[in-house]
Amino acid sequence: MHLVKTMKGKMLLALIAGSFVAVIYFSLPILNIDATKEPKTFLTHSGAVIQTTGEVLDPVGYSGEPLEFDPDKYLREFNYGRVSKLSDGTTLREFTIIAEDDKIMEISPGIFYNVWTFNGTVPGPTIRATEGDLVRVHFINNGQKPHTIHFHGIHKAEMDGVFESVGQGGGQFTYEFTAGPVGVHPYHCHVMPLEEHISHGLYGIYIVDPKEGRPPADEMVMVLNGFDTDFDAENNFYAVNTIPFYYQHHPIQINTNELIRVYVVNILEFDQINNLHLHGNLFNYYPAGTSTIPSMYTDVVTFSQGDRGIMEFKYQYPGKYLFHAHKTEFAEKGWTGIFLAKDSENTTQYGEK
Amino acid sequence: MEEIKKTSKAKLVASALIPIVALGLMIAYIFGPGSSFLGFGVSLPEITIEKIEFLDSKIIAIIRNTGHVDVEVAQADVNDRIQPAAIEPDKSLNRFETAKVIIPFEWNEKEPYKIGLTLSDGTRFSKSAIAVQVPEPSFELVSYFAIIGTYVGIIPVLIGLLWFPFIAKMSKNKYKFFLALTAGLLLFLGIDAIKEGLEISTKSLAGAFNGQLLVATIVVVSFLGLYYSSEKLISRTTLSITKPVAIGLMIAIGIGLHNLGEGLAIGAAVGLGEIALSTFLIVGFAIHNTTEGLAIAAPMAKGKPLIGKLVMMGMIAGTPAIFGAWIGGFVYSPFAAVVFLSIGAGAIFQVVVSIINWIRQDEEKTFSAMSVVSGFSVGMLIMYLTSIFV
Repeated sequence: MHLVKTMKGKMLLALIAGSFVAVIYFSLPILNIDATKEPKTFLTHSGAVIQTTGEVLDPVGYSGEPLEFDPDKYLREFNYGRVSKLSDGTTLREFTIIAEDDKIMEISPGIFYNVWTFNGTVPGPTIRATEGDLVRVHFINNGQKPHTIHFHGIHKAEMDGVFESVGQGGGQFTYEFTAGPVGVHPYHCHVMPLEEHISHGLYGIYIVDPKEGRPPADEMVMVLNGFDTDFDAENNFYAVNTIPFYYQHHPIQINTNELIRVYVVNILEFDQINNLHLHGNLFNYYPAGTSTIPSMYTDVVTFSQGDRGIMEFKYQYPGKYLFHAHKTEFAEKGWTGIFLAKDSENTTQYGEK
Repeated sequence: MEEIKKTSKAKLVASALIPIVALGLMIAYIFGPGSSFLGFGVSLPEITIEKIEFLDSKIIAIIRNTGHVDVEVAQADVNDRIQPAAIEPDKSLNRFETAKVIIPFEWNEKEPYKIGLTLSDGTRFSKSAIAVQVPEPSFELVSYFAIIGTYVGIIPVLIGLLWFPFIAKMSKNKYKFFLALTAGLLLFLGIDAIKEGLEISTKSLAGAFNGQLLVATIVVVSFLGLYYSSEKLISRTTLSITKPVAIGLMIAIGIGLHNLGEGLAIGAAVGLGEIALSTFLIVGFAIHNTTEGLAIAAPMAKGKPLIGKLVMMGMIAGTPAIFGAWIGGFVYSPFAAVVFLSIGAGAIFQVVVSIINWIRQDEEKTFSAMSVVSGFSVGMLIMYLTSIFV
């Protein structure tokens, strides 16, 4: 009897103690913070100061390895193709573009996303030709889904990259057309569901230069894009050239009094509009780059999906100048950058082909 | 003889352990090295933001990994705008592990903010809260909560006890009516506590905790536990504690647990800035809780008037509101709130059963008399009507 009684008492006690511990564990969350640890101080890109014994969730700093995609390199990288002359004197430019859709990339610090790529990057390579050149693009689809390349511009229906889907696992197609019209154009995959193929990263810029060329300038490309990492048909991150806040952290170095020419393409999915605002300056804007006469002199330009154009400006005063989406939501989700203008003798650093 | 007893005991222990060992072997086989046949299917990460606090120039979020896989927190945002933040102890959260996210942010009083956290795979979880400065624990706040608890818990219960002489003087039939009324009041309170517990589970508790089942389990366990102890208490009554007093005491304990839950809700609401406790609300709670005093007085009314014991029971029933307000205001957790509310519900159901037994014992074991039925119904109606004020 006595044994039974103590057994019962023990069981009851154990039960009560067990429930008590469980309730405390689930109720009082922070038990494992080391109070003896010295707090570190961290200055954020927005100017706020964080003191913590833990880790910092920093939306701009990439810790450790270098980025898989280098926005600095992409900014001023133009691909003119493998050049040869046809018998009639036409310049032939040949490109090879390979599509893949299994790559996981750190698109924002700590955030890993399955990007679909042309030649391994988002955006794909910037293709550049002169009006009248014959452009030949050898397309190989190494992805797990059908893909195509649909170039904006003037070409035959069968070169439109819409109805001739290129099969997965090594399917091939050669797109051939005469470069034109003059301007800046997007290219992108045109397989349904279109939104999925574009928002995952299958796009790039195609530039057609006028035969007589444009005035020398420091030229760069900016693709306004974003990523919907949780697939709720709303972008989680916005950027110019893929990496959120990149140029805010790594300002684009330019020279004062040198002509800057930016080829801008808005490829953003999900949001109806996007825009660009330049600080401390105004620019000449050429919609689609098809005319040599600017349509406006402004500091804000608005883009719908697929809209693009050329911006030209010079900075008179040295210093840091912000450029960002004046749709500030996008700006605060990554679409912000800085031009760092410096006084310099060397004004033709980038102006030559 | 001893020998046989020993071997049979060993056999008993072995027979209890064999299935557990078998289960362990199976689990080891499934998870062990080289077993890959369970590698299909996708486990989605999930975190729950359990609490958001607004402090001087910063917002604090307490998060918990409530999914089936370990997660890595990558970025924080306020109203969908990415913000630099700190996370303690670190970014990696194992299953059920918690962390504290600190976002430096100049928030505006009374505006709603949505706090979001994005995991390494890009999924985002968010929760909204109205910005109200969390009161720092101070002597003023402690006494403020004590005063609220007194107004809501102690004073109304003591006022309700003043019905004692009125009930004491009435006829047996009318007395039965009042006992049934008490049971009705309490039944309402118990259902109310369950409703409250389920509401909190749906609103703030992660799905992994199975909030509804937690409520059911705790209600049943606390009911059984208190039923057992009250039977013990009543069966052991000496001359100093008569049966009515024992029942009154059990009612007081049950109501006390209920008021603890009520205080918890009030404290948490003030602490999280969800409501401003208006005088109107306090009056509502007071009217509502006055009926609880009646519930304590009723079973004791046919005995000697024991003023001291009555006041003591009033305190047992009322003071937990103060403790509840303190807990709720300073260390609120939805899990604790659900647990307390469920214990309260179980306690109250136990009291209801005691009263029903008391009525049956008292009156030829019938429970269908007009006075009983109407008393029960009126009790629930009174509670419903006074609950509208809260």
